[in-house]
Amino acid sequence: MSAQLTLQAPLDVPPAEVTPYLDRLWKGMLEGSSGAATFTLLVWEPSWLEQQLVRVGLIDGPIRGFDRSDLMTAARQAVSDCGLPLSTAPMDPRLAWALGQKPGHQSSADLRGQVVESAISAHMPRRLITLAPTLDAGRPLETMVAAYCPLPEEGGTGAACGDAVVLRGGMGAIQQNLHLIQPLVGDDLPCWVWWNSSLDEPLDMLEALAPLPRRLVIDTSLGSPRRCLDVLVARIDAGQAVNDLNWLRLRSWRESLAMVFDPPSRRDALAHVVQLDIDVEGDHPVKGLLLAAWIADRLGWHLVASRPIPADSGSSSESGGIAAEFERTDGVSVQFRLMPVPMGMPKAHPGAIVGLRLICEPKGRPQLCVILCSESGGCMRLESGGMAALELAEELVPLPEEHEEMEMARLLSGGHDSTNPLLASAAPLAARILPD
Amino acid sequence: MTTLLTNPLRVGLRQERVISPQCIVIFGASGDLTHRKLVPALFELFRQRRLPSEFAVLGCARRPWSDEEFRSKMAEAMADTIAEHPGAWEHFAQGMFYEPVDLQQSDHLVRLGTRLETIDRLRATRGNRTFYLSVSPEFYGSGCRALASAGLLADPERSRVVIEKPFGRDYGSAQGLNKVVQACAKESQIFRIDHYLGKETVQNILVLRFANTIFEPIWNRNYIANVQITAAETVGVEERAGYYESSGALRDMVQNHLTQILALTTMEPPGRFDAEAIRNEKAKVLQAAHLANEQEPWQCCVRGQYSSGGTAARPLSGYRDEPGVNPNSTTETYVAMKLFIDNWRWQGVPFYLRTGKRLPKRLSEVVLTFREAPVHLFDAAGGAPTPNQLILRIQPDEGAEFKFEVKAPGSGMRSRPVDMGFSYDDSFGEPSDEGYVRLLADAMLGDPTLYTRSDEVEAAWRLYTPLLELIEEAPWQLPVHPYEARTWGPAAADNLLAEEGLIWRRP
Repeated sequence: MSAQLTLQAPLDVPPAEVTPYLDRLWKGMLEGSSGAATFTLLVWEPSWLEQQLVRVGLIDGPIRGFDRSDLMTAARQAVSDCGLPLSTAPMDPRLAWALGQKPGHQSSADLRGQVVESAISAHMPRRLITLAPTLDAGRPLETMVAAYCPLPEEGGTGAACGDAVVLRGGMGAIQQNLHLIQPLVGDDLPCWVWWNSSLDEPLDMLEALAPLPRRLVIDTSLGSPRRCLDVLVARIDAGQAVNDLNWLRLRSWRESLAMVFDPPSRRDALAHVVQLDIDVEGDHPVKGLLLAAWIADRLGWHLVASRPIPADSGSSSESGGIAAEFERTDGVSVQFRLMPVPMGMPKAHPGAIVGLRLICEPKGRPQLCVILCSESGGCMRLESGGMAALELAEELVPLPEEHEEMEMARLLSGGHDSTNPLLASAAPLAARILPD
Repeated sequence: MTTLLTNPLRVGLRQERVISPQCIVIFGASGDLTHRKLVPALFELFRQRRLPSEFAVLGCARRPWSDEEFRSKMAEAMADTIAEHPGAWEHFAQGMFYEPVDLQQSDHLVRLGTRLETIDRLRATRGNRTFYLSVSPEFYGSGCRALASAGLLADPERSRVVIEKPFGRDYGSAQGLNKVVQACAKESQIFRIDHYLGKETVQNILVLRFANTIFEPIWNRNYIANVQITAAETVGVEERAGYYESSGALRDMVQNHLTQILALTTMEPPGRFDAEAIRNEKAKVLQAAHLANEQEPWQCCVRGQYSSGGTAARPLSGYRDEPGVNPNSTTETYVAMKLFIDNWRWQGVPFYLRTGKRLPKRLSEVVLTFREAPVHLFDAAGGAPTPNQLILRIQPDEGAEFKFEVKAPGSGMRSRPVDMGFSYDDSFGEPSDEGYVRLLADAMLGDPTLYTRSDEVEAAWRLYTPLLELIEEAPWQLPVHPYEARTWGPAAADNLLAEEGLIWRRP
């Protein structure tokens, strides 16, 4: 995927001049162009990992603010250089923090907010506002403004232009100038706020950027599990339209499991589940918990109790798993275990699902064992214990490696003006399963 | 499809594309289609959470109904559905409005514009509108003109118009109508509906062909001997005599539904899955199609008309005895024909199309018959080996079936045909959406992939022009053969295939 440059070179404009400049821009240069009647996209884009990798010289600039292949390669290398467990995902915020302890003073051009991913620009945001905090916390605020016109696809209906505004500087400068945001967002179009960072960052910034009724996009794979789930649940409870990229990445798992039970001959087995096992990469359980909570919610299970499983002293995993007991609608108990699995080549985001096993005991019929495995992980651990001797339904779950920008583009294409009801039901349950 | 125990894990997974805030304006809102198909489809979309909260339906017709009367008429017609979801209907109905409008009266259009602005403010629909012309076909052109002159189609991004079938009566009138509507709106705003394209199984033809590597290499003249496309109905003309007398089976079924199935079955693979790429390929293949004998069309086409039949206990009237039908009518209720497609893929492969009313079964299917094995090594239980067949069942019992030869059990080496089947019911067990649900959603999304473009419509009419001219100018050369109700059409239709040593599939 190629990034799309803005129509004009971004212009440095003093903060107080941003709004008047945009007015002049639309009345002058862009007069006659149809302003896209779409949405405003406000992005919190610290790109700490990319900034740190550039600073220590592991990648060259410019800093762009979205995934690039050399960034992933360098990040995987940095995991071992920093002495982190090999299961650490490249996007794990702990990696950026560890890199921050290393010396280095390389600098580079910073193009955050000045290039628009074509997948996103295809949806023609009317205004793209990027907040780009720098590693230098004391750096003063710079504001830049540019217009952009996505090229219409063949057969398209002409260019509908938008503009891009970048606020770049140290955290302090950005915080002091948050009042600039509201006039830029406006009220006539929907506004999406993409928190493209860890949820462990100070919540006051998130709260300032994403008041109701703005639509919020977060990623619950980034940040401590408890914090991630608490933020997600709090926002849903507050009635905000919340989209979680971590939940969206579960799409192929939900679809694959539903597919197993599409044939009516299998459906009865769903009422007789006795055991659910989920393996996840590394020690971030949120994705696995969301998957388990979705299953439990759809099947009407009631959570009885949950507890941590201590780390096995012989295990290479840093942390243990989670065990829980559910009660089915007919009162029968369902045992759930979520186990971290060490991986040599983890996926980009922490806590990717490795495998899922569902054991059903229909009355008077043979046990059914459903095993879903990721392409990268394999099924061997879940097949052990004689499972292969049961009536077995095994599926390989395709895991397309998609960038956040692609996920974001998918969200934007769908409108999504309310929280997905499946997520709204699963998130509170996932938060309850996670032991304190 | 039958509804079986719902898969609880499937619920809510179809969160595909969400329609942007808008108002759908239905002209002809007092008509049959509105309460039978359109409003039920919109309600289904609402229940599936695929409509935004900023949504409105504005019914328009000449009758002086109020909003409340419109809501209650729709509620009355949809009582069974609403009884299952009363809360949802109450919520949905809040966004339903009605405005008495005669499209020929300019002051009515002005009033309509004002009403739409009021709805925009009330329901936050942002001036985004889909106009659905569910009116008599003679008003399609003037309806579009009226909308355009009132400025309601001025914004190509926020307004679109859906036009029901039939789009024209022949090639000339379709061309004329295209000119009129294209003068009123851009092609990207015009959605010519063919509800057959909303069927899952029709769309599945594309997936079957282009998502599997095993079919496409053999999907051509080298492997396929002939193709039969059938759309059979058990019902008679029912209450549609007024319309049907002037259209007949050729205009009512063949020019649109069967031709669309033909196009999807025979088109080249598009470079990408988008509306223009797919419609380009469909238009190209239709432009390459022609009647097997254009000079003497009576040689490759048979028309029929059902006569009385049925059983002593349940006798069925003949077409000419139906209410509203001319007792001397020569309108065809059955038509069968042979076509060819002149391109590299299909040169020399005969395509047989047939459709009729009062046939023994209600079904639509595509049957691809493959060439015989070059050498018969084995005795066949039936005398000769049965050619392989791939049968795509459009409706009912949606699915696909592949017939091939296997060794018959026993000590000899005799072959016999068996079936390998795929059934939507067995694999998915969920009823698929009504065609209108999919098509209305697509129109409101501005996605024309499943709608026919102007050149497709014209190519489809041009394909049958020799027949239509013959029926008009020398109907005695294409007589209407009577056939007994609930039989598979006139014997003359069998002769179309008999010359090639073929027979119609008896499903």
